[in-house]
Amino acid sequence: MLHVNNLTAAIGGKQILNDLNLEVGDNEIFGLLGPNGSGKSTFAHALAGRDGYDITGEVTLDGADLLDMEPEARAAAGVFMGFQYPVEIPGVNNMYFLRTALNSVRRARGETEVGARDFLNVSKKAMDLVEMKEDFLYRSVNAGFSGGEKKRNEILQMAIMEPRLAVLDETDSGLDIDALRIVAGGVNALRSPERSMVVITHYQRLLDYIKPDFVHVLVDGRIVKSGDHTLALHLEANGYADFENDLGDASEQSFAGAQS
Amino acid sequence: MTASPTAIDPAVTGRAAALDWVELSGYPTRRNEAWRYAPHKKLAELSFGPPVALTTSVPDLGDLIPALDGPRIVVVNGVVNTELSTMTGPTGLHLSSLLDARREQPDRLAVHFDRVKSQISDAYMALNIAFGGDGAVVRVDAGATLEVPIHIVDVEVPDETRNASCTGVVIELGAGSSATVVETRIGVGADFGGSNIRTTITIADDASLEHVLLQNVPASHMHLSNIDVTQGANSKFLARSFNLGASYGRVAYRVDLAGSRAHADLSGLFFGFGDQVLDQQINVVHSAKNCTSRQTYRGVLDDASTGIFNGGIDVLPGADGTDAEQSNKNLILSDRAEVNTQPRLEILADEVACKHGATVGQLDESAMYYMRSRGIPAVEARRLLINGFADQVVDEVSIESVRTWINQRLGHDDV
Repeated sequence: MLHVNNLTAAIGGKQILNDLNLEVGDNEIFGLLGPNGSGKSTFAHALAGRDGYDITGEVTLDGADLLDMEPEARAAAGVFMGFQYPVEIPGVNNMYFLRTALNSVRRARGETEVGARDFLNVSKKAMDLVEMKEDFLYRSVNAGFSGGEKKRNEILQMAIMEPRLAVLDETDSGLDIDALRIVAGGVNALRSPERSMVVITHYQRLLDYIKPDFVHVLVDGRIVKSGDHTLALHLEANGYADFENDLGDASEQSFAGAQS
Repeated sequence: MTASPTAIDPAVTGRAAALDWVELSGYPTRRNEAWRYAPHKKLAELSFGPPVALTTSVPDLGDLIPALDGPRIVVVNGVVNTELSTMTGPTGLHLSSLLDARREQPDRLAVHFDRVKSQISDAYMALNIAFGGDGAVVRVDAGATLEVPIHIVDVEVPDETRNASCTGVVIELGAGSSATVVETRIGVGADFGGSNIRTTITIADDASLEHVLLQNVPASHMHLSNIDVTQGANSKFLARSFNLGASYGRVAYRVDLAGSRAHADLSGLFFGFGDQVLDQQINVVHSAKNCTSRQTYRGVLDDASTGIFNGGIDVLPGADGTDAEQSNKNLILSDRAEVNTQPRLEILADEVACKHGATVGQLDESAMYYMRSRGIPAVEARRLLINGFADQVVDEVSIESVRTWINQRLGHDDV
């Protein structure tokens, strides 16, 4: 469903992603691991459509060219990004935000909008999934939420949006063990034959709960190693040092290339 | 034109003194701190004077004003319209026209109008005192708790004389009473004109008033308002102003915390489009011990509009134990819009806690991206963010129908 060919991304002249190639099939979950600064979050934002990157290459979702689209069009095409740092929006009611989001996407797809009462049912189901109380809906989006609440709100949004491709950027960071269990439980419940997920993380911990079909290791903006979930265990034991050393020459070359 | 001011009111000396004040002190200029951003030339084109009778039929108020349950006084071009007004209300409430009240109880009303020279802040206030004939009087008996809001509606329909009516509103709360008063200022027509409304409020000991000001006159008008408040001990004053209409919309408060442990909480929203100039001049004076005050103002400025927040906290000698805070946050939506925010603090007492802060910002790009990544188109995301910013002031209003009216005026959805 997702094809990523020779994706590069630079910000302010600094190359972050280098000729990244990736294929994601239907109903796949893969873990994307890598050290700090390896480009994991940039990859997520490149898919979601954040401004400010110089991007080349090709990214298609079900054949549609994502790189040409505004962020809202990508959401309508089925991309959902779970933010590492969900943004606080004081004054905007969470339920209103969620319903506006869902109906915007439905409108863009030519589907009928969901009325207030039906939406309440949709959201109740999603709330149960992430063990949220109803008052969450009536608070401002993420404003004053704890770290765990913000991440649960991300999974809640994913449950409501029902994306084709979910990219979860360090959804485990800042979570205690209970919150991690809830978030991972939500993600697992949302597995579906029509959905694939990219789970970006620093740690093996999350992958104990969400068992990936594949694990890719990102170092210096490219995938240096791919394997099954045992690769994550290997990384947990040995760190990234092996891959970083392997890559020394290649990354120097590509930096030189980017500057010229 | 109706009767001359001398004929409609016995307090001739007070009026003459006010005119003398103008003669002597002149009109404000850009050099006056409180009038720095006012369009002085344009203001000079207005004709302030005694009420000018309406030459057309009274406009349909309909959706121009919020629908409130309760009594109301409607003033059209400076004169109370008895047909549109409902002067009867619950026990403990006394409503009358200012014209009647000054005729029948001149001594009682004198305190609101016979101002010594130092109490007149500027020529426009003096003109209001000199020419103001009619308006609204709201008196609440000691101990009365009014469950329904009182609505005072001012309607301006200027004609080719460029008239600006001078109207007075008097609100008196007896000891231990509680009330809500909504003042809605609107107008009709595309003629240039204005309104100059002066509200004087006395809140006796232990009394509580929520006062909502909705300024939504047409863009062809100028609006000057002055709200002068004196608070007794343990009293509470909640002011919520929505400065939305007029080419120049001015909302000036002077709140005197004259009794100990009084509390004043002022909040407001100014939301400018086109080339509107929306001016808030706030002066909170702590003259008694252990009083608290809060000023929370938000501005949204689009197109080539200008916002002004000039907020003063004066802590007079002896007002020890004062706790005062002020905050002004502004959202600038266009590179042609501007905001001028200025705190003025003068502290002459001991053990005073005073905080102030001001911010001027643009739409949060990360919030825009977050919303768009959820499929919300950029235009809609922008609207949500702006409304979210403004709603935090709207939410302070206790009356739902007023909130609904404001949201409709701002083009918000009801949430």
